[in-house]
Amino acid sequence: MPEHVAEQFEDIGKQAHAARLAMWIFVGSEALFFSGLFALYAAYRCEHPWGFGVGVEDNTVAWGSINTLILVVSSYVLTLAVRALRHDKPRASALLIGVTMLLGMAFAFIKVGEWLHHFGDGLYPGGWGHFYEEPGHGDPGTKMFFTLYYCMTGLHEVHIVVGLLVLGFLLYKVLRRQIGSWAPHPLEVGAIYWHFVDMVWLFLWPLFYLMPGAVGR
Amino acid sequence: MSVPGKPAEVSGVTLFVAWCAILVLGAFSLVMRFAHIGSFTFLTGFGVAVIQTTLVALFFMELVHEKPTIRFAFVTCLSLFALLVTLVTVDVITRSIPPLQDPPGTAQRYRG
Repeated sequence: MPEHVAEQFEDIGKQAHAARLAMWIFVGSEALFFSGLFALYAAYRCEHPWGFGVGVEDNTVAWGSINTLILVVSSYVLTLAVRALRHDKPRASALLIGVTMLLGMAFAFIKVGEWLHHFGDGLYPGGWGHFYEEPGHGDPGTKMFFTLYYCMTGLHEVHIVVGLLVLGFLLYKVLRRQIGSWAPHPLEVGAIYWHFVDMVWLFLWPLFYLMPGAVGR
Repeated sequence: MSVPGKPAEVSGVTLFVAWCAILVLGAFSLVMRFAHIGSFTFLTGFGVAVIQTTLVALFFMELVHEKPTIRFAFVTCLSLFALLVTLVTVDVITRSIPPLQDPPGTAQRYRG
């Protein structure tokens, strides 16, 4: 199989290292992009502990937890796909990438279902909807909680969709034998991105589902 | 197995153990959600998330076997992330100055 070494690199090892470094820097910039929203969450939670507590209580823990399980399993399956490709098992790798994509799609569908359920309850971002007019839901913190909830989980969902597109492209490349054990780094960098998406969710899950009660000043 | 551009590869057993640890920690976090421990729910939830993401970064993303340049990029990003969130949170928590008031007579002046 050809090694596809770009002319600016001496060997495939250096090319792979450059690709991974670039992905890590990209992931770093993505983390800083999310950090603004995490900082907003922390600040508003300190200002409105009661309203945020009400918001967490209203979210369905079961759906958030199932999504966490799905994403953690998908991350593990993708590590197995990378290993399979490195060990020259492209068919197994392709199968595992496919499973990862199915799990990612399940996550995305559950999340959309959750939003639709919230819309049905009259709960929209920006403090819109009759949910906030019901007794006990009028706190500005609750409005802020759900606005951040839609922003952060929506942004995360966009990353999931992008991840699925990337994985689909990599699956095609593996099936066409354009990447393989001689140069598995395209799949490695795709996996780094997917794991990052998993990492972000591992923080969103407790913030939006697992921390009821007045935590703040 | 020699991996192009990498010193080594994380073993299958290590990956499996890390994955199990992430699941067990997640289950612990979920149990704590219903334990009625007040503000400690925040500590357990956030603490578990930090440990879980560390495991993901070290073993799934293979940072444990990466070269120093990539570790440096990761540590820099992590430090900036922590700095931003910490400064914003500390600012809000330690605020004791009441909101600024308009100087006396401002309302009259703008009323025309």
